Amino acid sequence: MTRISGGLIDRTSPIAFRFNGTSYQGYTGDTLASALLGNGVQLVGRSFKYHRPRGVFTAGSEEPNALVELRTGAWQEPNTRATVAELFDGLVAQSQNHIGSLSRDLLAINDLLSPFLSAGFYYKTFMWPRAFWEKLYEPAIRRAAGLGSLSMQADPDSYDKGFLHCDILIIGAGAAGLAAALTAGRSGAETILVDEDFELGGRLLAESGHLDGVSGQTWAQRVVAELATLPNVRIMPRTTVFGTYDHGIFGAVERVADHLPDSGGKVRQTLWRITSNRAVMATGATERHIPFANNDRPGIMLAGAMRAYANRWAVTPTRTDTDKIAIFTNGDDGHRTALDLITKGVPVLGVVDTRKDAPCFGDYKVFAGAVVSNTKGRHGLTAIEITQNGSSAWHHVGALGVGGGWNPNLHLASHHRARPTWDQSILGFVPPSDGPSGLIPAGAATGQGATAAALASGMQAAQKALSDLGCRTDPIDLPHAGPEPSAQSEFWLVPSPKRRAWVDFQNDVTVKDIALAHQENMRSVEHLKRWTTLGMATDQGKTSNISALAVMAELTGKSIPETGTTVFRPPYTGVSLGVLGGGDTGQDFRPKRLTPTQTWAAAQGAVFVEAGQWMRAQWYPRDGETHWRQSVDREAMAVRSGVGVCDVTTLGKIDVQGKDAGEFLNRIYANTISTLKTGRVRYGLMLREDGILYDDGTCARLGDTHYVVTTTTANAGLVYQRLEFARQCLWPDLDVHLMSTTDAWAQLAVAGPKSRHLLERIVDGFDLSNDAFPFMACAELTVCGGLRARLFRISFSGELAYEIAVPARYGNALMERLIEVGADLGATPYGTEALGVLRIEKGHATANELTGQTTARMLGLERMVSSKKDAIGAIMSRREGLAAERRRLVGFVPIDDGNPIVAGSHLVKPDAAQTFENDEGWITSACYSPHLKSPIALGYLADGDTRMGEELIAANPLEQQQTRVRVVSAHFVDPDGNRLRD
Amino acid sequence: MTDLIPLTPLGRTAPYMAAAGPLHISEQTDVALASLSIARGAPRPSPFGLDLPDAGKCVAGDGMGAFWIGPNTWMVEAAGQAETNFAAALARAVPDCAVTDQTDGYACIDVTGSDADLNRLFAKLVNIDPKALITGTAVRTGLDHMTVFVVRRSAEQVSFLGLRSYAGSLWHAIETAACRLDA
Repeated sequence: MTRISGGLIDRTSPIAFRFNGTSYQGYTGDTLASALLGNGVQLVGRSFKYHRPRGVFTAGSEEPNALVELRTGAWQEPNTRATVAELFDGLVAQSQNHIGSLSRDLLAINDLLSPFLSAGFYYKTFMWPRAFWEKLYEPAIRRAAGLGSLSMQADPDSYDKGFLHCDILIIGAGAAGLAAALTAGRSGAETILVDEDFELGGRLLAESGHLDGVSGQTWAQRVVAELATLPNVRIMPRTTVFGTYDHGIFGAVERVADHLPDSGGKVRQTLWRITSNRAVMATGATERHIPFANNDRPGIMLAGAMRAYANRWAVTPTRTDTDKIAIFTNGDDGHRTALDLITKGVPVLGVVDTRKDAPCFGDYKVFAGAVVSNTKGRHGLTAIEITQNGSSAWHHVGALGVGGGWNPNLHLASHHRARPTWDQSILGFVPPSDGPSGLIPAGAATGQGATAAALASGMQAAQKALSDLGCRTDPIDLPHAGPEPSAQSEFWLVPSPKRRAWVDFQNDVTVKDIALAHQENMRSVEHLKRWTTLGMATDQGKTSNISALAVMAELTGKSIPETGTTVFRPPYTGVSLGVLGGGDTGQDFRPKRLTPTQTWAAAQGAVFVEAGQWMRAQWYPRDGETHWRQSVDREAMAVRSGVGVCDVTTLGKIDVQGKDAGEFLNRIYANTISTLKTGRVRYGLMLREDGILYDDGTCARLGDTHYVVTTTTANAGLVYQRLEFARQCLWPDLDVHLMSTTDAWAQLAVAGPKSRHLLERIVDGFDLSNDAFPFMACAELTVCGGLRARLFRISFSGELAYEIAVPARYGNALMERLIEVGADLGATPYGTEALGVLRIEKGHATANELTGQTTARMLGLERMVSSKKDAIGAIMSRREGLAAERRRLVGFVPIDDGNPIVAGSHLVKPDAAQTFENDEGWITSACYSPHLKSPIALGYLADGDTRMGEELIAANPLEQQQTRVRVVSAHFVDPDGNRLRD
Repeated sequence: MTDLIPLTPLGRTAPYMAAAGPLHISEQTDVALASLSIARGAPRPSPFGLDLPDAGKCVAGDGMGAFWIGPNTWMVEAAGQAETNFAAALARAVPDCAVTDQTDGYACIDVTGSDADLNRLFAKLVNIDPKALITGTAVRTGLDHMTVFVVRRSAEQVSFLGLRSYAGSLWHAIETAACRLDA
């Protein structure tokens, strides 16, 4: 045990947990990392590439080494940073990335092979044989270089999402953030304070200094207690702001139940979209290390982290409490760690300070002008080599704290691609001046890391934000904080030409690798990153990026800002895909639209198919039908011989009213609409601006100034949007009113030679005779004893057919009624599959034919594009390129009976090679026609209208399929159209 | 009177209601809806005495109501008239306007509860500051990838109107969020 006195842990509340199968005890307030250190566990994982033993390196979310698989079974999550995993009772964690036990990892052989595994090795190796890459090399590399493993089970947790709004968002609850929150909160502004930690206070919790005579921890607790009483302040611990987006919007993840043994019905995490007027970025700073030979052994950690473990969690990173600790630093900050350890009675070897004039602030040994030049210890640090004045000596230590200065956490200020600015006075990059508007950096995130400066900076940032918003900007009484020596020298690495010195621990990138990148001319930061993978691991190089720049700067002889910097992208730390998904999975992953007859169809055992977001009945199987074709053939034949009913509500319906409605539709449709008489329907074509076909449908005139436009299911929303654009932006002078009525009316197609007979049984005294209600008529009427309805005599199947619309709430009952009263007529419900068969048999085009490359001419409908008026796309449809288009829609039947024709097949002459040069068109739709008892197809063929009877090959080279086909009319059924006019 | 039995948007023969967390959710099926649109620059009519509201607002009268849904366009509501041809009645009342029947175009899901709980619910459903969703507010917004009107009837009541075909998904979204409020 290496627990020491003090700390913010609750020693009256012990917690049992397991790591790699061994039981340990920690306390409430511990993280997994602090609890492991408290139990003397130094070795917690293996490195990515070389499988080097690794220990806890930091005390926060920047951790590169201590990654574990947390929890078990389906809840197991890899790559969890032990440094931010809040300890809970029964926690189970496993180390990762090793074969065999953690201490005897078989893949440690990689370390011995390291001369062959330098940066870029796999760009130059594994090149041949080429086929080996996918089957051999890549799997082997992934096995050796992976991080954690997945459970391969579905995520059992639930997630949530939400939206928050505030005047001021304060990101980070350290000294600056708390001062900002207090300033903003007391002013009455709506304030949200978020922090990724479960305890608010930031570095105040990690330091031993006092504020107005009380510890920083106590002051933080008092401020949080006051903030909690303010109704305008929302405090969100365990919440990470991971991204800055446009217009003051931030993405944040709140870990709602990650710290609980059992979620107890709570969601695991919530994704918040926070919209703020102003934001204070009080995100603190991350300490950097100093690369030296073998600087990656367990027991070596950042000096500031070591101070945090001692002061907040009352642990040291040694295996036993008699092991000595040394500090290696280039500035005063490292000395503070030594002082705090000594105060707590921890044995300290001394401070190795790179400065020749290194100060001493207490009773400890200072190795001035010295460096740590090597280390020993297989699974944990046992000794360090200190080189001073040209001579080296080994010293036994159990841990080493390394402090190379602090880098402001400016990531959020850089998410809009603004480049950080180098500040020589703090030897670090500070937030860019052209960062996101409304984002005000404060505290250590701007280089103002001393407590007093951070407090003042936080308050000023909040005052600036309040002033921007026109709110009161009263200052708060800031507590007095003592002086904190912070001088540092510019010292970036200890040269070690023969040994490896790590820069990026998580991706195993060493100084040598950077030198190799330099040698290979991968000198720009972006090339350096990609060549070496530096900074590209799950920690995104938080502890390594600046050190790597410094190393490259030394190699190139340039300054650090000249060498370059890197900008950051969201997320700041890893975000689970589960929470990004917003919570709904499976059936609820996206919203569903149900048709009015859904209830009845489901009761009939219908098979449903997704059509966009709609769920449509695809076919209605009957007892004894074992194959979908049996059901579909039966349904299609029922329509041809009797009557069928199909729910076609999903087709878009748009109410068009106004005294200029006719003129408006004339400009929308390629054909003329204004001449349509009241009570009549016309088929219409819409073109894109470039003259290509856009959508087709019907337009019914219900009154003088009232039309109903129908669209295809797929384009319902798009056509409505297009019409609104035309109404509002193109022709605002026209008096036109649009309203979607797709959902308001249930619309059923009633098709087949007996459809009139069937409808006569439900209409209330309405004359359905051919004379009174001919083909392409429409009317408003009542059915079933007074229910208002609309009737359209239109046909998609080619049969005598109608579409009847009733208020959507009655759609289900009407469907049931039609089938019931039409039983003797053979009334049969049919689904989208039979609908497709019927329309292919009739040669009607649908989405398969309207591909975005199709012209009216190709459908043989060029005469519908009126030359007597203008309409969207009309002129462009006559341009040379489209006018010269020779492909035409025709039908195909197989020459050899029964051979199916595959949609998508390309058409070539029988003796031609199946190449693009010989391509004469393609099959757009294909089905089995129960009516013709043969496969049939539609397709576009060059000069198709003049090639009836010709033999071709429908080739599908991808699957070595080819079918001999004969060109026939696209109208397989009733080519003269007598049935629908009957 | 037809003998056909209508179904509610949720596919039931009677309006569905449920307690969800601290809130109460119910399907409203007896309100008739009709959109009313006037020509640009035309005077704003007062159908059935309703003072048609400005953008983002709703008004309620005696069994009638209206909320703004777009430039020069409103949705007029009539309680208890879902089974009548309300659109025709409205069209007669405002002869120079475009009126479209919308009664079955939308599913209306009402949520009642305390002001604070409703505001917490909004934070989980719509990207609108609850402080702006005060009584008398009506906005069109996105909710779980659906488009809805949110009509704040009172501090204790809000209506979500979504396309009828989405009713099940809309109910699921509201119920799930409500149940999680106190989880």
